[in-house]
Amino acid sequence: MLMKAENISKRYLRKTGGANYFLAVKPLNLELSAGETVVLMGRSGSGKTTLLNMLCGLLSPTEGEVWFNDTSLYRLDDQALSCLRSERIAAVPQGRSAIDTLTVLENILLPAKLYGRSLPVSDARQWMERLDIAHLGDARPAELSGGELRRVAIVRALTQSPDFLFADEPTSDLDDENTRLVLSTLRDYAHERNRAVFIVTHESEAMAYADRSFRMDGGQLIPAADMKGAAPA
Amino acid sequence: MTKRRMFLRMVTASLLRRRSRMLIALLSIGIGATILAGLVTIYVDVPRQMGAQFRSYGANMLLLPQNGETLGSERLAEALRMIPEEALVGAAPYRYVRLDMTTRQQSFTAAGTDFSQITKTSPYFSVEGAYPSEPRQVLVGSGIADKIGVRVGSSMELTYQPTGSAGSQTSAESRAPGAVLSGKAEGFGGGLVYVTATLDGQSKIASVSVDASTQTPEYGGRVQEDEAFLNQLVGQSLPVALGDGVDALTGATVTSAAVVEALNQATAADAAARPRTLNFTVTGILTTGGEEEGYLFLSLQDMENLTGSDQLDVAELSVSANVDQLETYANAITESGGGVQARLVKRVAKSEASVLEKLTALVFLVTLVVLLLTMICVSTTMMAVVSERRREIGLRKALGASDGSIRAEFLGEGLFLGLLGGVMGAILGFVFAQVVSVNVFGSSITFQPLLLPATVIVSMIIAAASCLLPIKRAVAIDPAIVLKGE
Ligand SMILES: Nc1ncnc2c1ncn2[C@@H]1O[C@H](COP(=O)(O)OP(=O)(O)OP(=O)(O)O)[C@@H](O)[C@H]1O
Ligand SMILES: [Mg+2]
Repeated sequence: MLMKAENISKRYLRKTGGANYFLAVKPLNLELSAGETVVLMGRSGSGKTTLLNMLCGLLSPTEGEVWFNDTSLYRLDDQALSCLRSERIAAVPQGRSAIDTLTVLENILLPAKLYGRSLPVSDARQWMERLDIAHLGDARPAELSGGELRRVAIVRALTQSPDFLFADEPTSDLDDENTRLVLSTLRDYAHERNRAVFIVTHESEAMAYADRSFRMDGGQLIPAADMKGAAPA
Repeated sequence: MTKRRMFLRMVTASLLRRRSRMLIALLSIGIGATILAGLVTIYVDVPRQMGAQFRSYGANMLLLPQNGETLGSERLAEALRMIPEEALVGAAPYRYVRLDMTTRQQSFTAAGTDFSQITKTSPYFSVEGAYPSEPRQVLVGSGIADKIGVRVGSSMELTYQPTGSAGSQTSAESRAPGAVLSGKAEGFGGGLVYVTATLDGQSKIASVSVDASTQTPEYGGRVQEDEAFLNQLVGQSLPVALGDGVDALTGATVTSAAVVEALNQATAADAAARPRTLNFTVTGILTTGGEEEGYLFLSLQDMENLTGSDQLDVAELSVSANVDQLETYANAITESGGGVQARLVKRVAKSEASVLEKLTALVFLVTLVVLLLTMICVSTTMMAVVSERRREIGLRKALGASDGSIRAEFLGEGLFLGLLGGVMGAILGFVFAQVVSVNVFGSSITFQPLLLPATVIVSMIIAAASCLLPIKRAVAIDPAIVLKGE
């Protein structure tokens, strides 16, 4: 089980300002393999979310290829790509990501529902238990705190039981204790089930849970080993 | 929790949350479908309606006497029996004569008719006041009424001037003293007996002379000399009858009867040739916008009293049938040998067809415009719904919903709206058509069973078509952009 980014870059078209194009992610290579937890840190606007979206099949790179095993993600048609995204890849998007008309549990079961699969209700309950939101199953997203919503999104991704789990800022809005709970849960998911977890975070504590870590700087991906020189304290 | 329950909840929740928008979309589809169903119903029903309507715009068949024949009420009745009873809406007989209004030195065309039939064959007749319902009442065309200044309640003295009469002013009741009546009748053995009588001032016989030279001198021939027989006639008022003040001469019964008959015949001939005047009350003023405004209308009985004849000139028929059937009936009547000739009033049938054609175009155009407006309204609403749900759609996509499933969801919503609006429209449309039909055509319509599925299908197609652009928008939503932060 392997995900490989080959020379991917993303160039955004900016409608205002002098420069028309903005290179948010400079050409880079990255491999994710089963069983590892990868953490990506970096300053705001450095291109982390852009990279994550490209990896999880939501945003096609301007150049380069993203390989999922032997298939190039962005050469698949919409049907196949969304099927892959639903079954093999899960994403915890940055910010709020719940449908207000559904209950928390329904939100968590939504991905399975979208594909008409049998609903993994017991899995969902287990993960909710684990992240301490078991009591919120019948609540509405609007009634939840920011941190609780974050954990709902994480439980939703975990319940998908993906080969690759991408989490964009999973610990924002969380207190230290819950940050640790989430990070360890994600790491354990990767290790115990032999899946890959990719975490984008501002939380420096996350480094401790990572098998590998990177820093993003101005669209450039820098391995953590070189980080000391690259990043100012 | 079952999948089905969840799906239902998702659909109903998303519909309910946007219920004001959905209501607008539903309403526009419903109204569109209502007008569609209503117009189509009326349109389908219209040929029938128009048929009745046009027949009510006048007669579509005329019955006339055939060449050299006369048209009497028996012949008319016989001809009418050849048209199925249920198809015959009305049959108005007419007798046209010129009547003089001597007090004004005017003369007018007068029509004797049956007023109970006129309302069926000429319902567009608009009468101020009422149709005559009793003898000696007259309906006056507004043209005449304006000209001579009569109103409802006025009285009119009308005189019938038989052709060839001297135009004397005497009334039917009194004759000038010394007037002479002469007549003839068949006596014994077919020989003619001639009688001449002079009248006194009271229209009684003053003197009488008989020429019975064709009769056997010993029997019938005696009447011309028998003083007793002739004298008993003097002082009698006409008509006379044997056995009522007049006795037959013994041995000359047949000839005596011939004398009486000749006298009576002479009286009748004299009466027929004499102008008659009747006094009428105006019960109504007629407005038609046509030449009828220059006519007087009176009952057939009054007409007979005036003219002494019950002959008719024409009968106007209103028959509920199509042109082919009408022709069949007309041919049957003309060829039956009853002396009656039937003619179709083609003008009405033709204008019926051309009005239908125009109506078709109009219905088509209005339907098209209504459907277009419906589409615009639904499309706009769905567009707003898509932008409201941008984030949700993006999230669904990020969670693995394919473009196809997004399409299916919106299309499903559209079709659902179409179904609901279509059912609503079919029912309301029927009500609408019914109201229009009752108010405009004055008759109710039958529900077309095919209308329900047809309206629903058209509504669903329209709703689905309206969703095409919004769906394109929804599919184009980029989850990566939509989801980025908040
Ligand atoms: N759709 C877009 N069009 C134009 N520019 C974009 C678009 N998305 C992102 N950018 C730009 O690309 C750069 C990288 O954005 P990205 O969202 O990847 O940053 P990030 O590292 O995730 O930041 P943060 O930590 O604040 O979430 C930013 O400067 C942003 O302004
Ligand atoms: Mg980001």
